[in-house]
Amino acid sequence: MSSKVSGNYPPAENLVPLHGNTNEQFATRLIGYARHLKQYSYLLQQLIIVDITNAYKRSFIGLSWLVITPIVSVLVWILLHGAGIMEPGKTDIPYPAYVLLSTSIWSFFQGAYQVTSNVISNSGRFMVTAKFPHEVLVVEQVIVHIINFVIPFFINIVVLLAYGIDFSWAALLFPLTLIPLLFLGTGLGLLVALLRVVAVDFSKLADQCVTFLMFLTPIIYAPQIKLTWLASIVKYNPLTYLIGFSRNLLTQGTLYEPYYYFVFSLASLVFFFICLRIFMKYEGNLLERLINV
Amino acid sequence: MSDPQVILSVRNVYKKFTKDIKYNMYYGFRDMLSNPEATYMTLREKEFWAIQDVSFDLSEGEILGIVGANGSGKTSLMRLIAGIYPLERGALRGLPGQKITSVFALKAGMQPLFTGRENIHIKGAIFGMSKSEIEAKMAFIEEFSELGEKLDMPFGNYSSGMSARLAYSIAIATDPDIFIVDEALAVGDSVFKAKCFDHLKTYVQQPGKGVLFVSNNIRKLLKVSSRILVMDKGKIIHESGEDIRQALHFYVDHCLRHLEKGKRAAKLKTVTDYDL
Repeated sequence: MSSKVSGNYPPAENLVPLHGNTNEQFATRLIGYARHLKQYSYLLQQLIIVDITNAYKRSFIGLSWLVITPIVSVLVWILLHGAGIMEPGKTDIPYPAYVLLSTSIWSFFQGAYQVTSNVISNSGRFMVTAKFPHEVLVVEQVIVHIINFVIPFFINIVVLLAYGIDFSWAALLFPLTLIPLLFLGTGLGLLVALLRVVAVDFSKLADQCVTFLMFLTPIIYAPQIKLTWLASIVKYNPLTYLIGFSRNLLTQGTLYEPYYYFVFSLASLVFFFICLRIFMKYEGNLLERLINV
Repeated sequence: MSDPQVILSVRNVYKKFTKDIKYNMYYGFRDMLSNPEATYMTLREKEFWAIQDVSFDLSEGEILGIVGANGSGKTSLMRLIAGIYPLERGALRGLPGQKITSVFALKAGMQPLFTGRENIHIKGAIFGMSKSEIEAKMAFIEEFSELGEKLDMPFGNYSSGMSARLAYSIAIATDPDIFIVDEALAVGDSVFKAKCFDHLKTYVQQPGKGVLFVSNNIRKLLKVSSRILVMDKGKIIHESGEDIRQALHFYVDHCLRHLEKGKRAAKLKTVTDYDL
């Protein structure tokens, strides 16, 4: 039986290119992202509800777990301190309060990195079977991360009060001081999200580096370090200033190394936009490679 | 009487993939560092054309059936048209402001722990509908899916047929101009499938509407399609005119081409007797 293929189609009139131009300038793409977020705001809302409630759907006490889990963590810290296990040296505020707050701020950075770096690999199947703007998924993940940070953080505040921390009015600026950490974590995450698809070894290395970075940042120890090599690393580690500034503002109402904080904040913002630009450019192309994995 | 308006024009479209997982990652990484545009038309080691020089038109009022053996490029082509995959070579054109709804995996994005009714909101939102649009279509979805009180059950407890009913009803409620149905009606009971086919035929009678119907089930294609494209190895190897049966006969014959003559004729007769 012979095949029959026309192959000769006249140009159709009144038609325009589908799906727009993929070679748009960065600024145009950013505006497109904002437009998509507005257009798909109901999807954003639905995904947030799904993400937050899914884990507790089968639980009788439901979202109460969002409060119970951090309370248990706090109790563990207090017990460890009470048993005298943790005595790392002199800190400006009681050590359990110092560690609790520092790890909390650190988790804000690390969580932003984690959720964004897994955005393609965790949702790849969904992305190749449904057409929707993927920026909605990124923003949703970041919002859920912020919600998951805020609830335990309020419990931490109660514990800090119990330890006698006297908050000043300057503490109200604390949420704003976390923005550079969000930019840094999200930017790094977007970059690693691409690497998870095409360079798994690099992405695993990045995960290890972020975990290790916690020990090179004054979180479970005070910034005044006797060990020379560690002191040098801590000195040049941007997270020392980004975390230290937020911590001191909240607990003492003072500014920890404000010059370095503002320099690294600006650098974080620039880094985020560079990473976002790279993510926007390659995310679509890498999606077709994900399906084979 | 004037010719029906072309609502989708696909011209000289190409898409390549990589067979090997390590090469797939390596090329993906390399393409991020260099400009792959200039050399796109050259196949590198382990690469193959998933779509090769594909051109066709979809006119309003048409249900264009697309058939081909597994791996022939049907789904990749549909994902390009839906905008899921980026287009590197060729042109895809449609009417300004045209809405495309594609259904590849019926359950994509649906949540097993949420009720059918909650999933209407989730899936509707994935299709880009607002809350008010979904609420306005709720009665239609309830009526079309015929799920009644089962809409308040967790979606995870649905049978595949019930899932198909719900997901398909939500998709059609988006009122698309181009509706891509990729094996989406492979499951579900016969009564619901018949209803969907009847609905599709009525649906495309509206101005500016057309359907791309991907299936390997030739009996379904025979019942629903107004034209057929046969694909193999990323190419369109046959296009039907009005004679759908002849095109499907070509497809079956092509699938059996590796058999020796006697076996081929016997198999062809069996398939023809059952499905054509």
